[in-house]
Amino acid sequence: MASGCTGDLGGFRSDDSKPIDDPPPTSTGTGTGPTDPAACEDGAVYPGRAPLRRLTRFEYNKTVRDLLGDTTDPAYSLPSEEVGNGFGNDADVLSVSSLLAEQLGTVAEGIAKRATATPEALAKLHPCASSVRAEDEEACARSIIERLAPLAYRRPLAAGEADELLGLYTAGRTDATFDAGVATVIEGLLQSPDFLYRIEFGTPDPQRPELRRPTGDEMATRLSYLLWGTMPDEKLRLAAQAGELSTKEGVRAHAERMLEDPRSRVTVRYFFDNLLPISSLADLERNAETFPTFSRTIGSLLHEETQRFLAHEIFEENGTWASILTAPYTFMNGPLAAFYGVSGVTGDEFQQVQLDTTQRLGLLTQAGMMAGTTHSNNTNPVVRGGFVLDKLMCQKIPLPTGDILARVKPPEPYTGKTARERFSQHSKDPVCATCHQYLDPVGFALENYDAVGLFRTTENDVPIDASGGVPGTDIKVNGPIELVQGLAQTDAVQNCFATHWAEYGYGLTLRAGDACTKKAVTDAFKASGYNVKQLLIELTQTDAFHYMAAQEE
Amino acid sequence: MVMSNFRLSRRAVLRGAGAIAIALPWLEIMGTERTASAAPAPAKRFLSVYTPGGTVMNRWRPTGTETSFTLGPILSPLAPVQDKLLVVDGLDMKSAVGEQHQAGIIAWLSGTTQAPNGGYGGGPSIDQVIASRISAGQKAKASIEIAVRWATGKSHGLLSPMNAANFESTAPFRPIAPRLDPTEIFTDLFGTLDPSAGNDAARRLARKKSILDFLDGRYSALSSRLGAADAQKIDQHLTKIREIEKSLDTAAPVETSACKAPTKVDTSDYNPRTGLSADNDGKVKDTSTDAAIPKVGKLMMDMLVMSLACDITAVGTLQWSDTEAKHTFPWLNLSEHHHFYQHDGGFRAAECELICNWYSKQHLYLLQEMAKIDMGGHSLLDESVVFFGSELSDPPSHNKSNMPFLLAGGGGGLRTGRWVRYPNLSHNNLLVSILNLFGDNRNTFGDPKFCTGPLTNLT
Repeated sequence: MASGCTGDLGGFRSDDSKPIDDPPPTSTGTGTGPTDPAACEDGAVYPGRAPLRRLTRFEYNKTVRDLLGDTTDPAYSLPSEEVGNGFGNDADVLSVSSLLAEQLGTVAEGIAKRATATPEALAKLHPCASSVRAEDEEACARSIIERLAPLAYRRPLAAGEADELLGLYTAGRTDATFDAGVATVIEGLLQSPDFLYRIEFGTPDPQRPELRRPTGDEMATRLSYLLWGTMPDEKLRLAAQAGELSTKEGVRAHAERMLEDPRSRVTVRYFFDNLLPISSLADLERNAETFPTFSRTIGSLLHEETQRFLAHEIFEENGTWASILTAPYTFMNGPLAAFYGVSGVTGDEFQQVQLDTTQRLGLLTQAGMMAGTTHSNNTNPVVRGGFVLDKLMCQKIPLPTGDILARVKPPEPYTGKTARERFSQHSKDPVCATCHQYLDPVGFALENYDAVGLFRTTENDVPIDASGGVPGTDIKVNGPIELVQGLAQTDAVQNCFATHWAEYGYGLTLRAGDACTKKAVTDAFKASGYNVKQLLIELTQTDAFHYMAAQEE
Repeated sequence: MVMSNFRLSRRAVLRGAGAIAIALPWLEIMGTERTASAAPAPAKRFLSVYTPGGTVMNRWRPTGTETSFTLGPILSPLAPVQDKLLVVDGLDMKSAVGEQHQAGIIAWLSGTTQAPNGGYGGGPSIDQVIASRISAGQKAKASIEIAVRWATGKSHGLLSPMNAANFESTAPFRPIAPRLDPTEIFTDLFGTLDPSAGNDAARRLARKKSILDFLDGRYSALSSRLGAADAQKIDQHLTKIREIEKSLDTAAPVETSACKAPTKVDTSDYNPRTGLSADNDGKVKDTSTDAAIPKVGKLMMDMLVMSLACDITAVGTLQWSDTEAKHTFPWLNLSEHHHFYQHDGGFRAAECELICNWYSKQHLYLLQEMAKIDMGGHSLLDESVVFFGSELSDPPSHNKSNMPFLLAGGGGGLRTGRWVRYPNLSHNNLLVSILNLFGDNRNTFGDPKFCTGPLTNLT
């Protein structure tokens, strides 16, 4: 059994620095550096893997908004990305289906049509295009190409590239109109690999020519997609041309500037929507008789509560991951306060609300988090424990295999008044216990929240025993408050958060051979006092961000 | 053994048979001049039709005997085409291991289990295997996947949780998201046949060709500059672009007695992208779009039928909703969604029956439309195989034994007009049998653990 639960280690190691269940080596290799973080030497450079990345649908939408002013989020009609690292941007699992190739054409056609539909739209592409005379058409098309194509390709055009695009204009103009010709250019640009993919060839480091670094334009693109999920802005492009992005200090200055821009908030929101079980709260179904105060509207407000809270902690309070996990406040509006049973909050505007810290503390205890880790009208400690282990502690607990399922039949139907009773088989049966000893104690400690996340002290009139523990540690807890306090001081939890950001930021899944990159990020996070905003800046300061591994042949 | 250019007439064989020993089976060497006892010609078209949420078994199952039976209330709308139906009873989806609904839709056509933690299946779906045999490279499109009201649940139209039935024929067997927009599908398939399009369709085609030509050049040039792993990704994209180029080069369909553009209907009240955006704020409830389902569904069926009749493709899939099926049925006066009646709101057998019965009526329409089209002495339905199924059988328990499967059509010598019952065999056996109908003679498909060989008594 390839399990993270065999023996008494669980997936946990005392140094908590080594991935336990690394993905099996693939044809694209396992990474480029040492697999043991202890082997990462100070002063040595450990370049990052730089697999070819394609714009995600999220990034595509933001990019065409900035490139052409198209705000229709057209990429949502593309088929979704592969699951991979959980953020949809995992370059290691990228593949192209026939449907995707086709839909990229359909989406580009729609964008091009909108961008050329009216004289006003055309004027936005270039002033020459608003009322172009027949004899000036070709010159104007060239002007549009020379302005638009370097932005779309995120680099200056190479010799011949403008002519190539002008050929496309001519083909589209034939038997048609000027705008059809321009639309054809845009359709081509938007499907070109130079737009869809983030292509990095790098350039030798002047000091150490054996090492390659991203070019200025490539670095501007790295920064921009990491922090904003879109193409570089004018300032980044100028900085790239001026050589400001060839040092870690230069990159840091721009990262700091970019984090102050509202665009970074959209990225942080996207990150948490994918990390946390909150993005489907607006669709959550619950039995109306058992949970009369819950509705889809409440679900979407709970989603908003968590996102408001995170944005406030990170951007206004300069929060740490620990402070997010244990903050004594949240955000509510009138309807949400009524749902929670909190008085004194009225109206539709969200406002900061102090928590009753005997009942709730921090992110994990928000009703949306608890409802989002419950799949039915009954709480399931396994699902909640599984979420904490997988997403907060980076420990993958394997699903029971066919062998175990064949040997152990779950009692059917589950009986017992409390979840602890219903799931008691897990500790009685040693086969189940190998994994459930890690999952259930977390879930049991969260039993004070029902299936919609409301606080309770009894279940079916039986007092809830919310004792549990933090897996992989000696920490024993009684109830959710102690649990989140315990989690907040556990290294695995801090390292896991930094690792998720590294995987999102670098657009891949960290492998065994990326151990030094992972160590650099988790060390920097620790050095910052686990400050979240600082972590985003530190992602731009690693060797992995500044040096590129040799291309695999 | 290559025989295609070498056909012996029966007379030649009869003349020579006495004189020389012929090692090859006679009938095979005579090619098309087969006698009645020979294996029938392979089926030429394949459609799979998915409906969500199983059935109500005691209202579904026919009564009577194999050849003389009465359809149950749920299937009763199909009585007019009963002689073209094969009710396949008693199969279990043993390979549907994983999340209740997702594992069901994964296994339905692929016969493989769901990868752990909400992953995909482990192999291709039969439609794609069939497409690679009879359609890919031969028709304008290898296959066409269409869905009505597809993004009603948690997946927001993403491929996780899994809501697609089709998986590519080559590793890593990625799920194929269906097409959703009736207007786009119409233009794509029938643009050149549409009299109202004038020269636009031709101009659009010419423009598309020059763009693809440009892209071909860009992807080829880039590929040669990249390392192996990155080049592989770009090459895959290039391959798909070339597939599109090739499909544009395939002659556009021309109107014949069989092939006509379907009647376009106004679908402006139907939003094919409802629910698709990952950050939509609970706007999944879209009553206007729900109300348009019957009209859009009919158009989707018309387009699938005509894409077969016009030889645009030989393989298609129609998905009536995703597995969550959280849309309402205002035309049936049902205000809650299908999943609510299945078990979210407690199992409501009467409502489930009403919904299943409506799907039977839709299926009747599809089969009758296929039966109407003359493909030269026989109907489109006669040369096709149509597989109708779901991701489970019993809604409240998510049970996947005794699946409510139907086959229809006469392709591959399928003997219809019957109700065949099997003793709880694995449905993988049916999948391999369907492949056999298309001349693919393998004897196992999907996860071999769940396949004991083709079913008897189908042909």
